[in-house]
Amino acid sequence: MTRSTSQRILSTALMALITVSVSFPLAWMVIAGFKGKTEVLRSPFQFFPDMWRWDNYTTILKDPQFMRAMGVTFVGALIFTVLSLTVNTLAAYAFARLEFTGKRFWWVYCLTPMFVPGMAILLTSFMVVSKLGMLDTMAVLIIPGVASSGQMFFIRQFYLGFPMAVEEAALVDGASRWQIFVKVFLPQSASSFVVMGIASYLAYWNAYVWPVLTITDPNLTQIMQFLGTFRSDRGNDWGLLMAGSTLASLPTIALLLIFQRFIVNGVRISGIK
Amino acid sequence: MTVLESGIATAAKPAADGLAERRVAGHRRDNRTAYLMIAPMVILLTIFVIWPLVYSVYLSTFKISFYEEPEFVGLQFYQYVLESPRFWSSIWVGLYYALLTVPTGIVIGLLLASFIKMLSKRAAAFMKTTIYLPAVVSTVVASVLFVFMYQDEGVINWLLSLLNYAPVNWLNDPSFALPAIAVPGIWLGFGITTLILLAGLLDIPEGYYESAQLDGAGFFQRLFHITIPLLRNVLLYLLVTGFTLAIQLFDLPLIMTGGGPVDATMTPNLFIFTSFRDLTPYATSFSLTASLMLFLVLGAISLVIFRLVNSDKAIDG
Amino acid sequence: MRRRGIVMLAIAAVTASVAMSGCSSGGGETPAGTTTVTFWQQKFEDYQQAWFKKYVDQFNASQSKVKVDYQVVPGDTWAQKLKAAQAAGKAPDIATTNYGNVSPGVAQGQFASLDELLPAEKFDDIKGNVKPFVTIGGKHYAYPMLVEPSTVLYYRTDLVTAAGLDPASPPKSWDELIVWATKLTQGAVKGMTIASAAPDLGWSSWGLQYNACGRLPVNDDWSKAAAMDPCYEKLLGLYKTLYANGLIPKQPKVGYADGAPYGQGEVAMMAGGSWVIGQLKNDFKAMIPKTAVAPFPSFDGSTGKTTATLGGWTLTVDAKSKAKQQAAEFIKYLLAGDPAIMADFFKTSGFSKYTVRSSVDLALASNPDASADPFMKIISEKVVPFGKAEPAYPWDISLAFGTAIESAMKGSADIPTSLKTADAAINDVIKKQSLAGTAPK
Repeated sequence: MTRSTSQRILSTALMALITVSVSFPLAWMVIAGFKGKTEVLRSPFQFFPDMWRWDNYTTILKDPQFMRAMGVTFVGALIFTVLSLTVNTLAAYAFARLEFTGKRFWWVYCLTPMFVPGMAILLTSFMVVSKLGMLDTMAVLIIPGVASSGQMFFIRQFYLGFPMAVEEAALVDGASRWQIFVKVFLPQSASSFVVMGIASYLAYWNAYVWPVLTITDPNLTQIMQFLGTFRSDRGNDWGLLMAGSTLASLPTIALLLIFQRFIVNGVRISGIK
Repeated sequence: MTVLESGIATAAKPAADGLAERRVAGHRRDNRTAYLMIAPMVILLTIFVIWPLVYSVYLSTFKISFYEEPEFVGLQFYQYVLESPRFWSSIWVGLYYALLTVPTGIVIGLLLASFIKMLSKRAAAFMKTTIYLPAVVSTVVASVLFVFMYQDEGVINWLLSLLNYAPVNWLNDPSFALPAIAVPGIWLGFGITTLILLAGLLDIPEGYYESAQLDGAGFFQRLFHITIPLLRNVLLYLLVTGFTLAIQLFDLPLIMTGGGPVDATMTPNLFIFTSFRDLTPYATSFSLTASLMLFLVLGAISLVIFRLVNSDKAIDG
Repeated sequence: MRRRGIVMLAIAAVTASVAMSGCSSGGGETPAGTTTVTFWQQKFEDYQQAWFKKYVDQFNASQSKVKVDYQVVPGDTWAQKLKAAQAAGKAPDIATTNYGNVSPGVAQGQFASLDELLPAEKFDDIKGNVKPFVTIGGKHYAYPMLVEPSTVLYYRTDLVTAAGLDPASPPKSWDELIVWATKLTQGAVKGMTIASAAPDLGWSSWGLQYNACGRLPVNDDWSKAAAMDPCYEKLLGLYKTLYANGLIPKQPKVGYADGAPYGQGEVAMMAGGSWVIGQLKNDFKAMIPKTAVAPFPSFDGSTGKTTATLGGWTLTVDAKSKAKQQAAEFIKYLLAGDPAIMADFFKTSGFSKYTVRSSVDLALASNPDASADPFMKIISEKVVPFGKAEPAYPWDISLAFGTAIESAMKGSADIPTSLKTADAAINDVIKKQSLAGTAPK
């Protein structure tokens, strides 16, 4: 009894410690949004503003560009996430569970892009999307990044851990590979989909250089492009930047709250042994 | 559901049988299915990564000019990159940074994931969201905050002063600058690592731990004999992607130190980025070639990791 | 059945998003007879963007032949965006180009010559000291907009008085500067700020390189490095003393171009570009009455020597533009037209930038704000006339020298060794980029 009580105290203390160290910078960002343009940089460090001013938050919320950028980026990020999970999961399953000729070659082929630095293909991939007439469309933001070696790799690693027995039994029962994929693997993938989905979503949400390169239409301005307008070599508008960053993080936090519940025990292995 | 149940029912069937059966029975059909499944990925990667990469390699044999006929120079720029001491020093900086952050990140992630797994459902839900919060803070914001904390009169030096240490010039001392950048690097990244490891941990059957506990295995025994071997697939992923991403670090040093002091935080991508900035054909070709060399370095390191972690079957499934 | 279903779903999803995106493109409908020219401006202070937008709109409204499509591009992505666009044949018709990039751009045929596009008298209006910045081989490839001295000394008159120094006679030599900085370093307030990271040092020290040695660290025809000239040791010594003696903040929070630490009262003096005046006037109004400016001190205390390079911006027309004449029309309107337009620019900038056309000077002469401005007189009379052009050689050379200063400052190597390393690096750049004999005349 005492042991469990002390354990509970210990774990609560640990949780508190983690929460504080994790949310301190976040809190600082939120509060810095209430500061004046350059008050943020003042030394010595000051956590709270001299005067709480709402104007950074209200300025941004009143800016139609901001709401549009949030909306466009959010929709883009959702489509991007769904598409990339679809494409990468299909390939991941094939690489994890199927035997086919040339598998080794295609595996290396699909994994290689993970090691290509962005700068190596910056000019040439821009030439490609430009030739395809994709500039200034949502497609140029979404399609080129959909196939992700990293994500495919993760899901493949995850599927490698599935017990063979499940699949073999189904094959004996005459199920096709597609049926096994849909009926056995997909239902068990919720936690890895959530983890990878959040990563995809954030990758899209935080993209900066690519949108700057490919988007000039103000109707399609992405959120990081919008926030980028508060920065320059010759003095940043820190107050607005912090307020904007705070507001821009809200949809992500909301998604996190909704989807974290799916990161739970997989049914499959716990049932077997 | 029937598929799953029958799966469980026949789980006891000897595995060797099943494998042989599958090899014989399913070969031709698997080909077609597999190609269909990998087709979208292969097509997209070909258009948006592989083809641009091949084209970049072709371009790297020229002195790239967008206004005049580009001059063919063969492998000259590769020689220039290989001869550049700054390129090599940036590779070492990248490797050092990866060594500082990747193992630390995985250890922290593993500890946190084990901790969260022990918690009640509600507490776990809270923690799963909380640990991910740093990832929603943009790098720019995190960089500025950490620059503050490293100031002479900042929080970190204040803590040191309590222990009677003189203030450390974190960001401008060549031996401290990179570790100082590694801290926000770990802080920004450990959320996703933890969630990935948590997803992996939750897949390990509880029964393994129960029987180990009955056998009297302690925490570390369970860690090394059950957890780590069963997480091998996930750990391989984390190591490979962790190294790839860490070596490609770019925006933290750009904002926090500009690559200084004296190139101590000049990571490969930052080096490539700064050599790209001149609007001359030389700058374009040099940085393009340097980025292609970085690609080779990343590929080679990953190959080594694959070989090390992957003693048996992971590559071919 | 199911198999096909999934494939169809995937295909449908991909095509749907492609189609969806197709809808949003193609907004370039223009009335017949109107030519659209694109104009990219590198992002600077907010008031600059506002000024550009205002006059682009006015230009577009004033006539129906040319429509300017104006876009602001963030500085950190400028090179990537411009080169990517050039690679794809989508470079903007008009772009902002700094003086240092005019000559390398001409060397690779990037710019259209403006002599065929603008009337000759438009070039006569450009001041004599600026004209060489945009003239290569007798032709004009850019139309200048402004000049900004890269290095000026700002100091707090109140703190100077409190430290027992005379605000009316600012330091003239580097030794005096160090004395001032030492006396002004009080507790958390440091004596001054100056660049301390190689990428900033590379360009912000050009004026001081001229000051110390009368030249930059390469010989005149760019065939050999000259960084080991002992006169540079004094320059590195200055930076080293400032850093090692704790007279400047050890861990600067922002780069050289940003004057916020001075504005916030964290330092008593600042080496900064003239543009910081604009920042102080906009964001730190309280500092203006307490601030004075002076030419940056000279190594030996003599006056009338170069201490700053004149940076600044021009507009250029892309050599591959399909609407060169129309692009030039806009430049003619904005930079070379009614002097009141440019006068308005200098006024909005808080007179933190300086004119390049005699007619704009005349327009400003009648402006009471301009003649009353305390900073403008000193900078335009004591700094700008001695300012030199930014070097046209590749950035790698400047960076090598900036790295030498940084390594001496932070003690990675002693001064002669740092200069030796820089010398070798510069010679390497000369060799690999085949620079010998390519210096613009």
